[in-house]
Order: sequence, then structure tokens, then C-alpha cells
Amino acid sequence: MEPEFAVKTPQAFSHLDELRLLHLADSALPIGGLAHSFGLETLASKEILRTGDLPEFLRGYLEEAGMMEAVFCREASRLARGEQEMSFTGRWVEINNLLSARKPAKEARAGSASLGLNFLATVAGLGEFPLLREALRASKQSASLVHHSTAFGLACGAMTLDEDRAVLAFLHQSMASLVSACQRILPLGQTEATRILWNLKPPIVETAERSAACTIDEVCCFAPLLDWGAMEHPALSTRLFIS
Amino acid sequence: MDTMAGIAETERAIQPAARVDASLRLAFEFDHASGRTVLATSHQQPPLRVVRAFTLADAAALVHLHNVSGGLLGGDHLALRVSAGAGARVQLTTTGAMRIYHPRQEAAATTQVTEITVGESALLEYVPDPIIPFAGARYLQRTSIQLAQGAGLFWWEILAPGREARGEIFEYECVEMRADLTAMGRPIAAERIRLEPRNRALDSLARLGPYRTWAAFYICRTGVEAGAWIALENELREMAASFARADEVRWGISTLVAHGLVIRGAAKHGRDVLRGLHAFWSSARLRLYNREAVPPRKVY
Repeated sequence: MEPEFAVKTPQAFSHLDELRLLHLADSALPIGGLAHSFGLETLASKEILRTGDLPEFLRGYLEEAGMMEAVFCREASRLARGEQEMSFTGRWVEINNLLSARKPAKEARAGSASLGLNFLATVAGLGEFPLLREALRASKQSASLVHHSTAFGLACGAMTLDEDRAVLAFLHQSMASLVSACQRILPLGQTEATRILWNLKPPIVETAERSAACTIDEVCCFAPLLDWGAMEHPALSTRLFIS
Repeated sequence: MDTMAGIAETERAIQPAARVDASLRLAFEFDHASGRTVLATSHQQPPLRVVRAFTLADAAALVHLHNVSGGLLGGDHLALRVSAGAGARVQLTTTGAMRIYHPRQEAAATTQVTEITVGESALLEYVPDPIIPFAGARYLQRTSIQLAQGAGLFWWEILAPGREARGEIFEYECVEMRADLTAMGRPIAAERIRLEPRNRALDSLARLGPYRTWAAFYICRTGVEAGAWIALENELREMAASFARADEVRWGISTLVAHGLVIRGAAKHGRDVLRGLHAFWSSARLRLYNREAVPPRKVY
């Protein structure tokens, strides 16, 4: 049966929208997406995570961290469309501060913030997007982090790209980045990596659907081994990824 | 049960008349005349009880939180409100593990709401015993802690998998724990965890993997500069490496956004968690307050 979203967006999704969304979610976007493993390198290095574990592990990742990021992505998208009562800059900074507080591991927090800031700055320079420039200014002024999921949601919202599609695209590129990271730290070939990402599409859709009915105050995330991996990453003697 | 539906249900469960509606309000103040912290106000609604405050060697007030009913049943609601006034030094502990019993089928979730404020230059050490959810238990917890300028906090939580000794592992129905920690109005840490072992396997490598007991330990002092936290993080990480047995327990340490750090532990057995937490507590206390921790006198 085809999945249905709790929130339907009736607006047309033009070919231009489609191409823009593909571009924003492209791993080739120069924001440093290949530099972070978000704790996976530690788990692989300590032989906790093995190639055969990946499909189940990534599903669990989606259910916990993926779900949380999806809900924050939606919140930022709605903010860009003016669906919030607070002032834009105040709420933008608040959303990002709340997400920072939800990320206990400095490595994962900093990685998300690096991607988010690079993403927002890159996209703001692609056209006339005063809202994105205002967000950059507010974050800098308040010394607040800009996270990747919120930046992605905000940019998509500012371009009036469909919220559901934006969340799907964000989750898909996040999982693609993780699978790509796994190819560098585990004995994982292209064919198997492609199969893993292909099989993740249904849970990605399911996560995106569930996120539509959840608020940033409610959404839960319990990923202690992943947090541990991110916290211990700086202590690894040899690292392929940034921490 | 769907996660969102589950949260909505537990939110509703907190509202109706509870089977036991216990509350404890404690206000501590620094007494300038004696140089000690005193328990200035205490409002108690059984089965939550406090007998008295003891003065520790560093003039802090130690209070044991008693639940004289022995454990919590479905529908029980506990409310704990603690304030440590400016300059006060407080240590709170429990007299035993918090046992969440198997509820009747129709019973609402067991709930606990904790609200803590730590005043200017005050210090609160809240080191409770583990939470043990029995088979079938449904437990919802909300904790909010607000830190003023110069305020300090040592706070841990330990979640056991169940009654380990009888092989009851992850047989509870649901445990939801929410925590919000703010420093001078800014959120510095927030937890939202919801564990439903029957719906989402906790032995997933994305969650606990082979470990069963989970712990979080927050160490904060507002106003301490970022460099000092990084130094403490490195110091505690070295300490963790010296006593961690990778197949038994994992410790992760990280600075927060500001004003503190968090230690996360995952262990196969609860005893390893307590041993580690006490070591971290003592070391961090020495670094931040030039004095080792004074653990409450009790059998762990």
C-alpha cells in the first residue's frame, strides 16, 4: 500500500522545485558532508559495528536520531513559511538552541553545526533569499549554532518547497552520507552499499510520516551507543573523519 | 503502540486523580550565622518523606528522600520540588532504588515530576539510586532543573533493565524520561527518551547493544569557562579509560553547549555503573570545588 502523509500539501511541485530539492540534498553540495561519521567510526573501530549489522543499525538510527532530525527539519520549514507566532529570528535561534541541547555529544553537535552553517551560507548565496541571510545574521549575533536539519528545513521552506518532500530528501541524504561513511570504515562494497540504501527507503518514508505529527518538545531519541561513539571519537588514535 | 500515541496517553495519564498523589517541597537556605545550609521549608505529602537534614563535613545539608510505600504502583503520582537558595549546598539521595511495580491492566502510568532550582552560587548534588521498572511497568518522568549564575549541579540518573537477579530484563512496557536543564535561562541539555522494549529492541546497536543499564551524569557550574570544561572532559576520559572494561561497561564524556559536561554510561551490570559514577563525582568535585565529594553513607 502506498504510504500517506498525515499532512498533505496540495501545492504543485514544479519541475524546478524538484531539481532544486535534488540539488540541496546532493552529497556533492560543498558543505563538508563527507567529513563526519557522527560516531560510526568509533563503533566500527572498536568492532562493535560490523558490516552485517548495518541494515538493522541504520533502521534503528532512523527511528531515533533520524526521527528527531526530521521533526526539527519540519519545524524550521514551517518557521520559514510563517507558521509560527514568535518573531522569526527569536524562534530560529530557539529551535537551534533546543536541538543543541538535545545533542549530548560535542562531536555530533559540532558536526551538525558545521554542516548546517555551511549549508545555509551556501544556499543563501544562490539567489535572493533574505530570510536565510536573516537567519545567518541572527545565529551569528546570538552565538547560536545552526544545525543541518534546521538549515535544510528553513531553506526548503524559504523556497516554498513541499515540507514532506523536504523531510524525505533530508533523511535520504543523511542516510546516504552514513552509508558512504561506512564504505570508508568497513568492508562494504558499492553493490552492497547501494542495496542497503535502497532497502532503507521504506523506513525513511515511515520516519518522515511519523515526524509529521510530532513536535520538537515531544520527539524522543535514545541512541546511547551512538552517543558514546561520538564522545569517544576524539580519543581514537587514527581517524578518517573530523572530530 | 505508536510512539506519539504512547506519549499522548502518558500525558493524559498524568492528569486524572492519581492512586497515590504524593508531593515533597523542600527549600534549602544558607544560614549566614552558622555558615551551614539548613532545610528551611519542608512540605510533605506521604508516602514521600524526609526525616531530617544532616550537616556534612563541608557544611552542606544532606537529605534522604524516603518513599515509605516501598515502591510505586500504576497510577501513582509523585511531585518533588526542591530549591537551593543562594549560596546553599545540598546533597539529595534516596534510601533505595525506585521500584516501579507491575500495574493492574487498567491502571494509568506511574508518574514523577521533579522541579529543581539552584540559586546563585548554590550547589546541588542529586544522586539517587537506580530506577527499576518491573515487568509490565509503565513509568513517565519529567525533570526540570534551572541553574542561576554560579550555580553548581551534580546529578545522575540510572535506569536498570528490571530485576536483573531474577532474569527480568527489559520486560517493562514503557519508560519515558524527559529532562530539561537550563543555565541562566538557556537550555544546555535536554533528554527525551522513550523505551518500549516490545516495540523497539533495546539491544539494537543503535540503542544499548549488549548493555543493559543506562546512566546519565550531569556536572555543571555556570560561569566556568569553556576551556576548563574541555580540560575536565579530558581528565575524566582518561579516568574512564583506566577502569572501563569494554565488554562490561562503556563511558562517554562530552562537554555540553556551555557550563558543564555530561557522562553517559552503558553497562551490562548496574554495579559497574555506580562504581564509575562515584569516581567521576569525586574527581569532578575536586576540580570544580577543591573538595572531594562526600558520598552519602549507605550500602550500595
